[in-house]
Amino acid sequence: MDTAFKGEHLLLGHLGQFFTILAFGSALLSAISYYFATTNKFDNSWKRLGRIGYYINTASVVGIGVCLYYIILNHLFEYYYAWEHSSRALPIHFIISSFWDGQEGSFWLWTFWQAVLGNVLIWRAKSWETSVMAVVALSQAILATMLIGVDIFGQRIGTSPFILLRDAVDLKESAPIFAARPELYHNYLSYIKDGNGMNPLLQNYWMVIHPPTLFLGFASMVVPFAYAIAGLWQKRYTEWIKPAIPYSLFAMMVLGTGIIMGAFWAYESLSFGGFWAWDPVENASIIPWLILVGAVHVMIVYKNTGHSYFTATALVLTSFVLVLYASFLTRSGILGDTSVHAFTDAGMFWHLVADVVIFLTLAVVLLIIRWKELPHTKKDEETYSREFWMFVGAVFLSLSCFHLVVVSSIPVWNAMFGTHMAPPTDPVKHYNIVQASFAVVVTLLTGFTQFLKYKKTAITKFLATTIVYLALAALIAGVIVYVTGVYKLQFVFILIMVGAVYSILSNGKVLIDALKGKFKLAGSAVAHIGFGLIMVGALISAGTSKVISENNTGEQFSDDFVKAKNNPKENIILYKNEPVKMGKYLVTYVGDSIAPPNHYFKVDYKVMDSAGKVTQEFMLRPNAQANLKMGLISSPDTRHYLFSDLYTHVTYSNAITIGEGTPEAAHDEAEDDKNYDAPVAYEVTPGDTIRFRDGYMVLDSIGKMDHIQDITVTDKDLAIGAKLRIVSHNKTYHAEPVYMIRSNNAFDFSRKVDDAGLKLRFTKVLPQKHKIEITLYQQPESARKWIVMRAIQFPDINFLWSGTIIMVIGILLSIFRRNKELKPE
Amino acid sequence: MKKSSIFGLVVIAIAIAVIISVYSNSSTYGSFKDAQSTESELHVVGHLDKQKKPFYDATKNANYFSFYMKDNKGEECKVIFTGTEPQDFERSEQIVLTGAMKGHEFHASSILMKCPSKYTNNKVEITEFKAKQASI
Repeated sequence: MDTAFKGEHLLLGHLGQFFTILAFGSALLSAISYYFATTNKFDNSWKRLGRIGYYINTASVVGIGVCLYYIILNHLFEYYYAWEHSSRALPIHFIISSFWDGQEGSFWLWTFWQAVLGNVLIWRAKSWETSVMAVVALSQAILATMLIGVDIFGQRIGTSPFILLRDAVDLKESAPIFAARPELYHNYLSYIKDGNGMNPLLQNYWMVIHPPTLFLGFASMVVPFAYAIAGLWQKRYTEWIKPAIPYSLFAMMVLGTGIIMGAFWAYESLSFGGFWAWDPVENASIIPWLILVGAVHVMIVYKNTGHSYFTATALVLTSFVLVLYASFLTRSGILGDTSVHAFTDAGMFWHLVADVVIFLTLAVVLLIIRWKELPHTKKDEETYSREFWMFVGAVFLSLSCFHLVVVSSIPVWNAMFGTHMAPPTDPVKHYNIVQASFAVVVTLLTGFTQFLKYKKTAITKFLATTIVYLALAALIAGVIVYVTGVYKLQFVFILIMVGAVYSILSNGKVLIDALKGKFKLAGSAVAHIGFGLIMVGALISAGTSKVISENNTGEQFSDDFVKAKNNPKENIILYKNEPVKMGKYLVTYVGDSIAPPNHYFKVDYKVMDSAGKVTQEFMLRPNAQANLKMGLISSPDTRHYLFSDLYTHVTYSNAITIGEGTPEAAHDEAEDDKNYDAPVAYEVTPGDTIRFRDGYMVLDSIGKMDHIQDITVTDKDLAIGAKLRIVSHNKTYHAEPVYMIRSNNAFDFSRKVDDAGLKLRFTKVLPQKHKIEITLYQQPESARKWIVMRAIQFPDINFLWSGTIIMVIGILLSIFRRNKELKPE
Repeated sequence: MKKSSIFGLVVIAIAIAVIISVYSNSSTYGSFKDAQSTESELHVVGHLDKQKKPFYDATKNANYFSFYMKDNKGEECKVIFTGTEPQDFERSEQIVLTGAMKGHEFHASSILMKCPSKYTNNKVEITEFKAKQASI
């Protein structure tokens, strides 16, 4: 029998759970109805039913979202999802983003965007609606199964965000008190004061914007796929490409933006020490994108020349299957110990596999059935034609993607073939070199293809322009390579620079022509220039980034340690107020500012000219959170310049204590003396100086006090303060310890100067000697505050970010253009 | 031969080259014993020996971190990492090291920890019920 539990809001969960089932049922209904609407063209009622199903699905998806939001916003911790991903302390924008902190929420984002896109298609797809929507609704139904979380034949299908905490976690096991005293159990909620909260690393404004963008990108990949399937299914082989181009461009733009946002996030606030680490999870997002970019180019080839039909279809189909495969990689837990970021298995391994298999089978079977009827071109493309080289480019993008799939899937190969392969020991180097080789070809192609025309080009003129531009590009690239120091890298990286500059130049020429009149060509030119800039920025910043906190000092603990050629030692220790020279900077850790839960280390950077005058000074505040549950988590701070960034990341420190800022951290005053060396007493008169390890202090004056903070001093009491001026490391501090007599008892109030590591007490008055006694507590040397940090300089990374923006603008222009071309339909 | 067939062959050749390069670059999982017998880097999976405290003292050397790990075959070895102690290291349940053996020490170039508790912390925090315990 169910016990009644106090304080639970079960209605919401039931409602949300009802919506998940309704979302699945209505999407399935919609898919089936659209299927019959496509096969019975003259019966409009199927189509109506399909639409109704989709509308209900959209409404239920919104319903799921509203219920879950309500639960999270109102801190209803009886729900596992709210307890697991949010907490009361989170500010509102992170409470909103804790929605997609878990698997369930990110599936919801995906299904939400797919619902929106489906409605756009219902509105705009016209003759394509029934067949395209049949596929989209099928995808929507399968996504809905991920959220159902219902047991069927003892097997749980999907994970519901509405699972109750007491069902998800064995409360009696984790809190023995409930096992010991069952009568308390029905009231368990009153003991659950707060949720788990969000991983501090994710508490960043990018968490608010990056996942929705990324999932809009993933979701929009279904549209070109659905068009391709519909084209094969309805034998409208040649027609589907034209309407699918704008959607493909849209997906390419949004997913591309999402990926770069992720890179920017990693660079700005995660501790990667860079913008791209080739982690399998990052690769999973770029894999479908690369194929899609290839697909878009071949689609345009087909539209203009009638060539490459099969390649266009195959690439579009593959791109979506790879989205599903990527989702399998990151969510099934298979990446296991090869990735830091992957989700752990939520019991959906085979469910995710089935998702990939269903759509893969659909695509392959249709291709096989229709194979003979597909419009294969008999004639070979001309060598000097744009279509041929665009095709080659698409194939190289696919090869680059192929490489990423092969390496990221190493755990999959191991699972399939029972092997024990491990990823390359230096994965970044491996990826960089292989991917760079593909990038050289792709950048060169985006360059010289601009000088080719569709069908046939005049050879001599083409060769002349190409060579002139290539020579110019080589020259400019040579200068850049020399100035930035890229020449120290492997040869292939220099070639990319040539390719990228070449691409920028030749597309620049197209852009200038476009501005003179052929404006519709501007989109691709701008996008290619953006891509070229991304390559230039990525190459220079990743290739020539310099660790400026290089540190070869320190005790050498063993002979082997000295002999081993260790990676550059990136971490350096900074004692508080002790400047250290790093590159051209004089770096000082000057203090902390604490705004719970954040702890900012204030690191001061100075640049001085030869005369010792400070020419530039700035402060960086890398942040750390000493989280009770997750330990110390720190994120970097970066100083941005136009042509170079300075990145600072605190990796270790003794200045921060776990759980600081929480009430439990308030410490016992008596315990406090243990933090200091044995005290020393000094007898002094005003004007006297006391020396200590890091400086000196002067007793300026002694005076009677009227009140001490919140204690009022009455006539019967006597309170004297000793005004001390402390100088340590060229900084002056003031402190006034107090001596007090109240009803014949002597007290004293100590004062601390944390920056100087001092505690001062006014311990005695010696009237006969006309002196007073000051007792000095010094922190031992080892208790001095220090941070261990690393600082890296990233030159020219702004080319990468600005290139992205330019590329997005270019794709946007292309979307407008391709949309306009659709109008006459 | 048609141009597209030639191109097709080139593509297949590149694909094969990719697979070979990945295969030759790929590393293996092994034990400390395997690491003894090879010069090249490999991956070792194991867990931290919690009896012996990891050593990191930034005031002596900010780039020296050492600890003892037991590999999956139960063999224990001293591991040295050029860097700071990773946060939350002592709570890790599984460690994947990449590196090579130098003498009797394993020099790790990367440490990957699995702390299942980090993301799926299934320990519910309960404010313990202390009242009502009469003290006489």
